[in-house]
Amino acid sequence: MSRLPVADRRTVRRALRDMISRHRRAVGVVLALHSAAAVAGLAPPWLLGTIVDRVTAGASVATVDRLALTIAGCVLVSALLSRYAQYAGHRFGERAVAELREEFVARTLGLPVSVVERAGSGDLATRSSVDVATVGTTVREVVPTIVIASVQLTLLFGAVFLLHPLLGVAALAGLPSIVAVTRWYLRRAGSAYLAEGAAAAELTETLTTTAEGTRTVEALRLADDRIRHGTTRVAVLWRARRATLALRTVFFSVVEASYPLPVAVVLLVGSFLLSRDAVSLGAVVAAALYLQQAIDPLDRLLQWTEQAQRGFASYARLLGVGMVPPEPPGTTASSRGERLVVRGARFSYSNGPDVLHGIDLEVRPGERLAIVGPSGAGKSTLARLLAGIDAPRQGVVSIGGCPVTDLDPAERRRRIALVTQEHHVFIGSVRDNLAFAAPDASDEQMRAALGTVGADWYAALPAGLDTPLGDGARQLGAAEAQQLALARLVLADPHTLILDEATAALDPTTARRTERALAAVLVGRTVIAIAHRLNTAHDADRVAVLADGRITEIGSHDDLVAADGAYAALWRSWHSRVDEQR
Amino acid sequence: MRYLWWLVRRQPGRVLRGSLLGTAWMIGLSARPYLIARAVDDGLRARDTRALALWVAAIVVAGVALSYLGIMRHRTMTFIREDAKARSAEVLLRHLSRVGAVLPRRVGAGEVSTVGGSDIDWTAQVLTLTGPGVGAVVAYGVIAVVLWSISPLLALCVLVGVPVVGLVVGPLLRRLERAESVYRGQQGALTARSGDIVAGLRVLAGVGGRDLFARRYAARSQELRAEGYRVGAVNSWIDAATVAIPGLFLAAVVWLTARMAVTGDVTIGELVAVYGYVATLIVPVWFLLEGSHQLIRGRVAARRIVDLMNVTADDVGGPGRRWPGSLPEARHPDQLAAPEGPADLHDPVAGLTVRAGQLTGVAADDPAAAVALADRLGRYVASGVSWGGVPLTGIALDEVRARILVADHDAYLFAGTLRDILRAGADADDERIRVALRAASAEDVVDALPAGLDTPIDARARTLSGGQRQRIRLARALRGEPEVLILVDPTSAVDAHTEARIAERLRAARAGRTTVLIATSPLLLGRADLVAHLSAGRITATGSHADLLDRDPGYRHLVARGSDDADLEQPAETEEAYR
Repeated sequence: MSRLPVADRRTVRRALRDMISRHRRAVGVVLALHSAAAVAGLAPPWLLGTIVDRVTAGASVATVDRLALTIAGCVLVSALLSRYAQYAGHRFGERAVAELREEFVARTLGLPVSVVERAGSGDLATRSSVDVATVGTTVREVVPTIVIASVQLTLLFGAVFLLHPLLGVAALAGLPSIVAVTRWYLRRAGSAYLAEGAAAAELTETLTTTAEGTRTVEALRLADDRIRHGTTRVAVLWRARRATLALRTVFFSVVEASYPLPVAVVLLVGSFLLSRDAVSLGAVVAAALYLQQAIDPLDRLLQWTEQAQRGFASYARLLGVGMVPPEPPGTTASSRGERLVVRGARFSYSNGPDVLHGIDLEVRPGERLAIVGPSGAGKSTLARLLAGIDAPRQGVVSIGGCPVTDLDPAERRRRIALVTQEHHVFIGSVRDNLAFAAPDASDEQMRAALGTVGADWYAALPAGLDTPLGDGARQLGAAEAQQLALARLVLADPHTLILDEATAALDPTTARRTERALAAVLVGRTVIAIAHRLNTAHDADRVAVLADGRITEIGSHDDLVAADGAYAALWRSWHSRVDEQR
Repeated sequence: MRYLWWLVRRQPGRVLRGSLLGTAWMIGLSARPYLIARAVDDGLRARDTRALALWVAAIVVAGVALSYLGIMRHRTMTFIREDAKARSAEVLLRHLSRVGAVLPRRVGAGEVSTVGGSDIDWTAQVLTLTGPGVGAVVAYGVIAVVLWSISPLLALCVLVGVPVVGLVVGPLLRRLERAESVYRGQQGALTARSGDIVAGLRVLAGVGGRDLFARRYAARSQELRAEGYRVGAVNSWIDAATVAIPGLFLAAVVWLTARMAVTGDVTIGELVAVYGYVATLIVPVWFLLEGSHQLIRGRVAARRIVDLMNVTADDVGGPGRRWPGSLPEARHPDQLAAPEGPADLHDPVAGLTVRAGQLTGVAADDPAAAVALADRLGRYVASGVSWGGVPLTGIALDEVRARILVADHDAYLFAGTLRDILRAGADADDERIRVALRAASAEDVVDALPAGLDTPIDARARTLSGGQRQRIRLARALRGEPEVLILVDPTSAVDAHTEARIAERLRAARAGRTTVLIATSPLLLGRADLVAHLSAGRITATGSHADLLDRDPGYRHLVARGSDDADLEQPAETEEAYR
């Protein structure tokens, strides 16, 4: 399995810069508004300092009234400004996140199937859920918090500098220890919290799967085993939580112990400056209050840094999907003819041993060919070569004289459709599940297609084609889902169909009815059916027996039975008694 | 509520420590404004360097002490919450493991994952009240006393004003949370869409339609963006209000205090201190408001945990099962002795007799009737089935489960290494696992995996193909070597070659033991000692496979897949059965 790539730091930084420059104006407005709000927010401590000075100097009640009113005014102005700053930031965040996730989905949809399969869909699923969500939270919540906190901190420390440069220098007293411990913490936090999250998810999964499988737990008397398993999970989670707690213990105690340092140093330096009359008492008091006020944004900044780091990592994984070269557009737009020809095709998965050892096969247009053989013989691999999902390592697979992998993917899919036993019901209405195969199909055609594949459950749906399916709505059983997939095919109307055990998930009787219904529709189409039920082979024009990556027998059913080879033996064990009856 | 109290009582020492630390920390918070005020008054204003140095030293020491208290409080509270979570998870797990087949019918798996994922956390969160909650009340009192010593009028304003501000701001924040949760709901739906696309990527590659899905997703994403704008417009006002209201209150307090300072009722230092106290008082008041909210949510969550615990096992008639933790039950007065050794099973409803030590095939027209038959024979429902003449319902359920195994075709596969899955909780060595794998013709499944039996497999074995899963299930059932094995559709997803091999090996593996094979495959039924045809819920014919093919046209039609004419005679009722 080769995992999907992850973007390196440089690429991520470049992508971030691009994003900011695309939204240059919005970013500028947000920063300006936040700065203005923060400036207005700085006024109250300064005004309090002024009050202290004036009162010491023996000011009147009226002066105090005026100053207090100014404080209230500043609070209001600051709130108003920060509202608009937040709203602008929020809009920017929404836009950026929307762009990001749409691009991700577009990229995902453009991935070559072979890449997805080799990487395993789990990796991609995690990226599409966890990573998109993490980046979303980061852009919508973490980045604004960090921006606000940074702006506030810059201004607070700047204000102390303005009061007196020496006070400003003194205010930086707590910084070295905070910076050191933050670096130490960030180096360890990411992996520790990931481990904690994974352990928590595993415990939840143990509970959920135990609940899903209670009947099996009872039948196989697995209760003690499940409890043992779960208890181990609880212990693992406990250990993971202790590990993150240990990190927090070091981090927070150092940070919190550092908070009073600047206040203390400013008071001492202030007293020195005061003794030389370089500053007023009010200025020192204001500086002390500013620093007291700085604790809150600093706290927020530190708490969210870890999150921001996680967002960065998730963003790198999202960008990684874009680094996979998309499916090549193909060099030939169309080809003449429908004749599928395989010549000397050999194939191996990622430099492993060959799975197919020189396949020669010619499928005539309109022919129905069944491929049978034991599991592991290479039937599905051959199907993938025929459908153009993989290219042979050696030899050629061509349609109408043109290699299938050279065809434009969209064109190829329109001509050759591959149906596997893996079926998927998309979230959406019945219509949504059918329409994408044939966007122009009318409701009547859809109903007819459902009827063709024997999907008679359709009649019982409350809202007909508009009935929502999947994820909390109506769940289709395996048989129904496969019938839906087959109806989609009827609508797509490709000239060549490759059925890879398409009916394996259906119970025998339903499978048979579906196959028969399909057979009626598929007249005139080329059908290549990989099947484990011998009746499919019996109904086909020709049967190819695949064993160990080679075609060992090929011919019509009757020819093969007459030839008395492996196929004939299997057929007899399946069918001899019935034949005797006839 | 009782459940919450139970969680508290399990860790009295820790809870006590949490309360003490929480109280000390909260009070400690108010120390800094006091110390700064003293440094301003006694040091700076009085130009007394010694006093200043003393108070500054006190500020630093207090800071270190506070950080120590803070972190110890956090540690203790984390342990309390984690203890509660672990305890909840364990009792829940115990219950889920014992409750049996009934659960999926009563509650959805989604509900269990909500309880497991968030309700346990919410419940544990309530325990925070035992630490900072207690501390908040005490700290509030202490600050009240200090303020009172400065000015009773100020104290009254602050002590009433801060909670009022909290009560005004609290509901605003709740609204913020609600607006967010609507947004999150939509966001979750969008995430489900992209997950859906990823899961269906192969289908899209096979049939086409990628552009349509990209467009549809983009449209939904834009809808979410618009919703985000709306939420943002409202939320930014609320956010601004939650900052402005306390700010204005603070301005009012400063104004009042400053006027008192002018008239000399309070000192300058006290003016600064009051400013600090108001800011500090917000912390305990906040904790209390947040705590009351947590208590409400936690009670709901605890209720859901308890509800799940109250799901009891199905009534399968007769003496019940042993309940977790209970003593081995004394023999129930009505309990009957199970047959000592292998015995015949008889189901009066279908009229089926399963001979001990034989391989009985059952071909059912209707899959639902087949499942119902398996449920009766395995005693998943109360029924009139007898075992060696003894009513099955009267025998201890534990013994029935130990001796009769129903292997469903969709039996659950738990996550674990392949070896764990095949062992199924028993101490089986690799040799016996290999034997079972061979009988199920599943050796190639193991060989294809990178680490063989040690390969980790996820829940439901989603990485394996349908045929591979089915053979692993079969191997697991065979590995248990139960006295009676009831197999439901064990080979419906494997190819004919493999099925032929399984049919042969299965017979050998179960030689001399009672086996019921519910299937319609001629390859399997051809190997049975006796085959019964189950039609419309009743056994209509019995005999050997060849016999029934001769005598019973319905049976021939059912199993002879591929004969040309049989379908035309298919009776209408069987069509009904698949609706």
